[in-house]
Amino acid sequence: MEKLINELQAKIVDVLNLPDVEPQDIKPEEQLVGGRLGIDSIDVLEMVIMIEKDYGVKIDSRELGVKVFASLKTLAEHIHSNVSGQTN
Amino acid sequence: MRIHIIGMGIVTALGSGLRSNRDALLENRSGIRPLTLFPTVSHHPLPVGEINLPGGADNFPRTHRLALLAAEQAMANVKAAPDAVIMGVTTGGLSSTEALLRKQISDPGMYRCHATGSVAEEIARVYDCHGPVLTVSTACSSGAAALKLAQEMLRSGKAQRVLAGGADALCRLTYHGFNALQLIDPDGARPLDADRRGMSVGEGAALLLLAANEPDRALAEILGAGLSCDAYHPAAPHPEGEGARAAMQAALNDAGLTPADIDYINLHGTGTRDNDMAEARALTTLFGNEMPLLSSIKGASGHSLAAAGAIEAVMSAISISEGVIPANTGCRTADPALNLKPILAPVRKPVDVVLSNSFGFGGNNASLILGSPGRRQVRKTKAGTRTLCVMGHACVTGAGRTRATMAAIASGKACAGVLASGEIAARLSPAQVRRLKRFPRLALALAMDAYESAGDGKPPEAVFMGTGWGALSETSDFLERLFETGEQFPSPTDFVGSVHNAAAGQIAMQFKARGANLTMTGGDYSFEQAVAAAELMAGECRDGIVVVGADEHHERLSPLFDGSVARTRACPADGGGALYLDNSERASAPRIQSLFFESCRKDTDVRSVIRSAIDTLPPFEGRYGIILAGLPASCRKKAEHQLQILLEVSGFNGAVVDYRKYTGEFASASAVAVVMAVDLLMKGCIPASFGNGIAEVLGSKGALVVGMGDHMTAIEVMNP
Repeated sequence: MEKLINELQAKIVDVLNLPDVEPQDIKPEEQLVGGRLGIDSIDVLEMVIMIEKDYGVKIDSRELGVKVFASLKTLAEHIHSNVSGQTN
Repeated sequence: MRIHIIGMGIVTALGSGLRSNRDALLENRSGIRPLTLFPTVSHHPLPVGEINLPGGADNFPRTHRLALLAAEQAMANVKAAPDAVIMGVTTGGLSSTEALLRKQISDPGMYRCHATGSVAEEIARVYDCHGPVLTVSTACSSGAAALKLAQEMLRSGKAQRVLAGGADALCRLTYHGFNALQLIDPDGARPLDADRRGMSVGEGAALLLLAANEPDRALAEILGAGLSCDAYHPAAPHPEGEGARAAMQAALNDAGLTPADIDYINLHGTGTRDNDMAEARALTTLFGNEMPLLSSIKGASGHSLAAAGAIEAVMSAISISEGVIPANTGCRTADPALNLKPILAPVRKPVDVVLSNSFGFGGNNASLILGSPGRRQVRKTKAGTRTLCVMGHACVTGAGRTRATMAAIASGKACAGVLASGEIAARLSPAQVRRLKRFPRLALALAMDAYESAGDGKPPEAVFMGTGWGALSETSDFLERLFETGEQFPSPTDFVGSVHNAAAGQIAMQFKARGANLTMTGGDYSFEQAVAAAELMAGECRDGIVVVGADEHHERLSPLFDGSVARTRACPADGGGALYLDNSERASAPRIQSLFFESCRKDTDVRSVIRSAIDTLPPFEGRYGIILAGLPASCRKKAEHQLQILLEVSGFNGAVVDYRKYTGEFASASAVAVVMAVDLLMKGCIPASFGNGIAEVLGSKGALVVGMGDHMTAIEVMNP
């Protein structure tokens, strides 16, 4: 799980082009969207695409998205429990 | 003055022509079906409002063909050419361009109809319009915004008849883009329904021939229209619908009506959760307990983006002429959270006044009010047009920002080039620009520089943007990733950024500019169009206005789309210019005014077109110390010939500067030229490098910026 969290931290900073944010600045328990990092609804959709592309895990409704993107930890847990084994 | 609709044409997924669309409304029929237009990787194509369009032998892209069909209907009983054509278009030739790019076709000739502006150009050519040809590109409100500009042009007396409307065809960018935003209802749009999950993308076109005071032929009247901007978010509406409310209120004020006068509201009602909620809140604020009958037709027609506002204006006119209130097709159980009661089955009932809403990305909102001909008291005509004073100016070229550019030009050096992105964004915060690529960065930096150079002005209220090609990087990146990933993983960020009006939306957010916000896309004359739009809308702006012209150089797309860039590949150039305008008439500020905007298709017409254009103007000699001439490389010979005749007919023999030799070739180079003109006037002299080898004092003389080529335009900048 920790490996996955580290991987996601790097990917999020990269995909969202977050300025002055180091991967480890995204704390696993912290509010991910609408908080200190400035991540908004368009970023969430960008992460949805990244997660589907890289892990094969779909997050295709807003209700699910609200739960999954609550924090980096909830996101990692969701991916971990839904990933179908193979990732690219 | 009354604005009469004397001709209408409409093509939607419900049918072609007034009759078939009326019948569809009366039958509560939906035209939404799974996409067949282009193959998709998914075995379950999403439902769309697709039109069964017979193949054209003319090779025009789909948007053009839809627009021409609607134009033919609108002009069916009219022989006289319209004085102006104003279209709302966002995708233009994109449906064809996507296929060409995918096949890696590198012949620029194949992309000649890519430009959003080429739709209006083709209509103007077919109907022999010699006056202004304008294209509004404000995403989903484009068609309604085009009608607002047409209304203002008629009121200004600059035209007696204007052919105006909107058109957009289905294409991969919008089909996959809205899906990536999770804004598509897989079961088809059901606006206002408790279970709604999004919109259905559609396509279509509608054109209206509007006339000043022709009651005998009137089908309906446009009573008023209002524009606003949310200045809140690039794609999501203001949650309380503040911008939507402001647009409706502006339209009511413009028409001289109160909410109680409205019989029926044709909603924007796309079917997305947020849009419908924001619109409902705005309606509740404005109408309270006195809610008129209302419905959205987008569950029947789909959401045809730039065409929607014009299509729904025609539907509103049908509602008035036929006495029918269309159903909110697709909605079964209205969402109690919206607290609205949409009409669930068509109602036969006299309708006198209709309010029609169109809201779009970038927070661009437009509301129209239509009425039955002759039955309503029309508002008093506004007092004359405003004088626009240039309080601030800024530009960017390859040489750098304003000061560096002006210094290069004054010493006779070219400033053409592509400025490093870091330098453009130097003053913008990293958080602000993290999602902005080259074009929106240019536009935002220009607007901020122009405002700052004004010194102590209030932040601008209205934004007018002119761009030949818009956000090329975002468009290219979106399509590239779409194709690379087998259509599976397109970027939502790039989709939101790809719309032409995204940059003006960023400017609005920066300044909290909640007034009119228009993006004009007319190739080499885009900045001239933005100035024209600003002049038409100025009467409704209390505070300052920013007018920006900008284009980015994109290594792959610019040479394919822009013929001038294709001819000068070795010297890529981009940039733009911006003005901060006010009407305070402060004594020292230069004034700007557009003098003419003519179309000239035949070389044999040049002399007569120029003669009639300048006939009514004061003599050039004595009035202007310098002419800055735009001679695009794509039509250099024609443009040089036109300029020669302009100089001959006007008898002007002062300094003439071929400004693209300095700026390089890009569509909005004229914005830099206008900034040059302002700078010259403020310094009071013409540098020695311009023509005669000796510095000349301008004195009380002004500068004229002319554009030559497919259109002939003139903007003057004068000291008071």
